[in-house]
Amino acid sequence: MIADRLLGLAFIGIALAAGFSAWNLVVPFAADPLGPTPFPITIALVMGLCGAILVVQPVHGFERPERLTAPPMLVGAMVLYALSLVPLGFMPATALMAAAVALLFSAKPTQAAVVGIVTALVLWGLFDKLLDLPLPKGILPF
Amino acid sequence: METFAALGGGFAVALQPHNLALAFIGCIVGTAIGVLPGIGPLNAIALLLPFCLALRLPPESALILLAAVYYGSGYGGRITAILLNMPGEPSAVLTTLDGHPLAKQGRGGAALAITGIGSFIGATLSVIAMTFLSVPLARVAVAFSPADYVALIAFALSLLGAVGGVSAPKAWAAGCLGIMLALIGIDSGTGVERFTMGSFELLGGIDFTILAIGLFAIGEILLLIETRLRAQAEALHGGQRLTFSEVVFCIPAMLRASSIGFVIGVLPGAGASVASALSYTTEKRLNESNGKFGQGDLRGVAAPETADNAAQIGNMVPMLSLGIPGSGTTAVLLGALLMYNITPGPLLFEQRPEVAWGLIASMYIGNCMLLLLNLPLVGIFARLLTVPPWVLYPGVLALSFAGVFAVSNSAFDLLLAVAFGVMGWLFRKMEIPLVPIILGFVLGRMLEDNLRRALSLSGGEVSALVASPVSIILWVMTLAAVVWPFLRKRHG
Repeated sequence: MIADRLLGLAFIGIALAAGFSAWNLVVPFAADPLGPTPFPITIALVMGLCGAILVVQPVHGFERPERLTAPPMLVGAMVLYALSLVPLGFMPATALMAAAVALLFSAKPTQAAVVGIVTALVLWGLFDKLLDLPLPKGILPF
Repeated sequence: METFAALGGGFAVALQPHNLALAFIGCIVGTAIGVLPGIGPLNAIALLLPFCLALRLPPESALILLAAVYYGSGYGGRITAILLNMPGEPSAVLTTLDGHPLAKQGRGGAALAITGIGSFIGATLSVIAMTFLSVPLARVAVAFSPADYVALIAFALSLLGAVGGVSAPKAWAAGCLGIMLALIGIDSGTGVERFTMGSFELLGGIDFTILAIGLFAIGEILLLIETRLRAQAEALHGGQRLTFSEVVFCIPAMLRASSIGFVIGVLPGAGASVASALSYTTEKRLNESNGKFGQGDLRGVAAPETADNAAQIGNMVPMLSLGIPGSGTTAVLLGALLMYNITPGPLLFEQRPEVAWGLIASMYIGNCMLLLLNLPLVGIFARLLTVPPWVLYPGVLALSFAGVFAVSNSAFDLLLAVAFGVMGWLFRKMEIPLVPIILGFVLGRMLEDNLRRALSLSGGEVSALVASPVSIILWVMTLAAVVWPFLRKRHG
């Protein structure tokens, strides 16, 4: 119940922020009679109204995860991957990330290492060699 | 007659060897991703799209492949539902109710066979209905003015809260969020920046694939990793095979489910999950005296799976004929067409018949391929369930990121995809449906464009929005869809 109330408040917050942001738009010239402002404000109003209904009539609670540490660690691994992909290069970064995710899905360390290396090689072959889509090279020469 | 000639032209496109091969690959990929929990047609199509563009596939070939993945997934979800008692796809939830008891009684093979037949019947009847309905519907829609489109899109969005047993305010708020995400970037009409928060990267707007992959692929893996995996697949072999009389016994249920599925599918906003739930409860009610629903009734698996596939095809009708997608996955298909600079809608059938009819013809062929793949070879797909998650999901995640990077070449977009993934995960934990976000994202821009066009045409006169009979009817229906969830709650 609390979760839904907070959710409703969050929706109201987003709606207020979006509504004000649209309200304060400076429109130098408008090609059409409506312009870019009223539509987002209307959508923000609808969203705020839905948020208010949720605050007044909450439906559900938040389901507690069975494994509390795994999701934040996965998010951490993904953020590190996003930040390291360009400086480190596709192959090393992908191998590390895939191995970390395998560990989080309770693989043994050797299994994780194999998964990491194979995943990186297969995807590199697929994207770089087969499809000719450029991937960041990083520290490796290829 | 006209229809048959056009369909013949479509078969000429679909029967070209490379298009046949693409349909076949799509059917295999579709069934496989349907089997695997955590990968659905929506993110599979979003991931395949960069491949299609990189391989320079012509639009009709790309659409044949992507659509085959989509309707193929409807065949795969049942395998997981029956053998593992968990849905491979959200729309297969109902199939677990009777499917898993049947598997425990050693009749998993029979349940898989009858649902394979049901999927084929539902999909094929739906394709036939689509063949004859699409062009008349497109003809009606040609006369639609921008004001009529405003009403139609508003109706589609309002339905999101009225169907599917979700909390209406949550569905609508999610739809609004999708619309707001679509408005981020430079407004094409005036050049004004909206909701960019001063970010340079957001000026061009958010790419559609990033939102889809984030919400559905990354979010799903976060959801999977927080639960301990435990389920053990039931054995497939042994037990009495499906008999001919059992097939005949299920046919009335399948025919009812096909019609329910198609009609629900054509309605915007209501998808395969609603159709399969409705057809299951219909069969249960009709056969209260002679059924053993919940303990392993063959009709209890045949009906929801037939309706599921019929609805998936039905979902494509408004996407192709009106340009208005009714479900998350058809929204992604629409996005794929837009990337090819093809605008689905009333004129598609006249201007690009090879795309529209080639697709429809390929669906006849694809469903025959799927029937063959899913009756004798079902065991191979069931094997996929023995692949350990620590092999599967690192690969899926790496593929998702590579797909995002291939679209944009920017690390910022990878972070954005992670952020959408976290959002999708939290939303699912709070029972906020994700489909309205993706539909809002696609329809939001269209809604605003048509609204501004309509008001430009009328010189700013707001009453022009309700000037035509079509728009009045649609607005009344929208109002009903908005009021309905509140009335339903009051009456229990």
